[in-house]
Amino acid sequence: MSWFQQLSSVMQSRTFVLRLLLLLILAVFAARLFYIQVIRHDYYSEQAFQTQVSKLTILPERGKVYALDGDKPVPLVLNQTVYTVFADPQEIENESAVRAAMQKIAGGEMVDGYEEFLSSDRLRYVVMARNVSQTQAEKLREMKLAGVGFQKSSRRVYPEGQLGAQMLGYVNSEGEGQYGLEGKMDTELKGKAGLLQTVTDVRQIPLTIGRDDASISAEDGQDMVLTIDRGIQQKAEEILRTGLERAKATKGSLLVMDPNTGRIMAMANLPTYDPAKYTEVEDYRQFQNGTVSDPYEVGSVMKVLSMGVGLDTGAVNVNSTFDNTGSVSVDGTIIKNVEEDPIYPGTSMTDVLEYSLNTGVVYVLEQMGGGNVNEKSRQTLHDYYVNRYRFGQNTGIEQAGEQPGIIIGPNEGQGRNVRYANMAFGQGMNITMIQTAAAFSAAMNGGTYYQPTLIQGTLDEKGEVQENAPKVVSSAVLSPPASNSLRQMTFEGRNKGFFGDKDPKGYIVGGKTGTSQIIDPNTGRYTDDNSIGSYLGFGGADKPEYVIMVRVEDSKLTTGYAGTVAAGPIFNDMSNWLIQYLRIPPKN
Amino acid sequence: MSRNRSTTATFSSRSERMYRRNQNTVAFAPSISLGPISHTVLIALMIAVLGMIYLTQVTKTSTYGYQLDSIETERASLIAERQDLENENARLQALERVKSSNVASTMVEPAKVEYANN
Repeated sequence: MSWFQQLSSVMQSRTFVLRLLLLLILAVFAARLFYIQVIRHDYYSEQAFQTQVSKLTILPERGKVYALDGDKPVPLVLNQTVYTVFADPQEIENESAVRAAMQKIAGGEMVDGYEEFLSSDRLRYVVMARNVSQTQAEKLREMKLAGVGFQKSSRRVYPEGQLGAQMLGYVNSEGEGQYGLEGKMDTELKGKAGLLQTVTDVRQIPLTIGRDDASISAEDGQDMVLTIDRGIQQKAEEILRTGLERAKATKGSLLVMDPNTGRIMAMANLPTYDPAKYTEVEDYRQFQNGTVSDPYEVGSVMKVLSMGVGLDTGAVNVNSTFDNTGSVSVDGTIIKNVEEDPIYPGTSMTDVLEYSLNTGVVYVLEQMGGGNVNEKSRQTLHDYYVNRYRFGQNTGIEQAGEQPGIIIGPNEGQGRNVRYANMAFGQGMNITMIQTAAAFSAAMNGGTYYQPTLIQGTLDEKGEVQENAPKVVSSAVLSPPASNSLRQMTFEGRNKGFFGDKDPKGYIVGGKTGTSQIIDPNTGRYTDDNSIGSYLGFGGADKPEYVIMVRVEDSKLTTGYAGTVAAGPIFNDMSNWLIQYLRIPPKN
Repeated sequence: MSRNRSTTATFSSRSERMYRRNQNTVAFAPSISLGPISHTVLIALMIAVLGMIYLTQVTKTSTYGYQLDSIETERASLIAERQDLENENARLQALERVKSSNVASTMVEPAKVEYANN
């Protein structure tokens, strides 16, 4: 038999064919395994890692917010661990037991109409209750109801209800701070999330067997202590509410600050809302803190600050007088006084503040330009407004949505002299209450501009307040003599005027009204149908201890100007109450 | 012949040999030798035992994971409980509540405030 015949014989053997087939299959397997294990090693390793190892986010606790009660921090915003209770209708064994348990334990937090979905043969997820507390959740868990699950989350709690709502802001369902302090300080309050990278079992329970396990702790957000005094804030809101009702007004704001540190003691806005129920608010404007985000023409309260410019530049002094004829012409435009009195040649600078004379501050502006409203006087007023009083720029207060306002430059546009004459008494420019109050504080305290702030400090682990020092932005807003003269003139202006008998003896309380006309959006002209009333003032014994600014919109009172009849009484109530609350002894 | 031990498989008594002082004088040699299959089985058994030990250790380690998870759950529960108590405490001391309390309702505002001069 030849070798070929032998080979053919062997080939014909079924065993050999089977062997060959097996070898081929094994070769295919080997090749495939080589491809998977060697060539695609990295890819499959990564796949395995992704499948076996879970990356769990460790959520930090959001920082709490405290107000002050004297020197003691009291909580304004806290956190609460809450649960969403849901059902899987396909897994529920005893529907009536589930309903009864929910009614008994989580009655107040139940979602309306969830019962009708429990019998569904398609749904796998039905929310039965939201914001269920830890205690309620524990009771439900103990009942071991089949088909009932829990999702943990955290929500903000407001023990003081609506107190300071716009100033605080709120936290939305994604955990992001919105508006107010929550919006501005979101990063600091939020903290940093941690990471747990580990092998988990099917229930996502971490197991300590992985080589690539990693654990990075979460950093909780900062607990912040505000400069807001709880008592003053509460009283400010109460007084503002009463004042708006008295004036039949729809909207108003009240700001109280310490002129010697820049710390805000109260920031009240009406109408307000409940931050725990922010989803129920229909008009987003209710979220805004009007004291920082709503610039407007502040009107005659600006006369105090313009007078300060005149005193500081030496254009006028406390003994200066001018011939008040009731009107003044600037580039052919007649500017009149609102009040008819006094019309005589020896009208003093204090009279300008007492009677709110437009002609008086135009006279001061003219003196800055050597006798006329001109480029020099415009430049001087602009320099003080922008670089010293810091109008037209954000103050940096810890509030979201702060607006810089508008100060038109001295050489911009047409009718510059008329515009700047108007700006001297608060028209033709937009500024916020916080800008005005901060500048007024500097003008009254000797000339130091303090950064307005809402944050007293942070709360450490021992519960002690780590205070931030007041920040001086500028110590030369006005010279001390100019500031002292202006303070005295502001005091006398109030003392001799309409509100002179409203203040207790032994205190220096000064202030100025302002009534701003509103531009009718239909005509583009100022209308007499509506106005904004303002009052800006200070109080103290030896020195100003507080500055108050009031704004009232849409007053229906027709007995006088809104600044006097609507905003002024609110200032009086707040000032008299503060003198008692702050325990300021009278000078004599 | 070695000085230390016999290479034979038979027992040799002390008297039958000549040794120096303090040297081992007794030696045993195995009477049976293991073949390749026995070696394989023994190695397999050893691997199995080592595998068991490894699995025991891994299981023991993973139980720490469950213990940790249990402790974490308890911790989270206690934190939530503390939060609830803090919230309740704050709610009870809230200004509106204090204002409407029985004690506050009996208070009156002073008619006049006087400051004593030092």
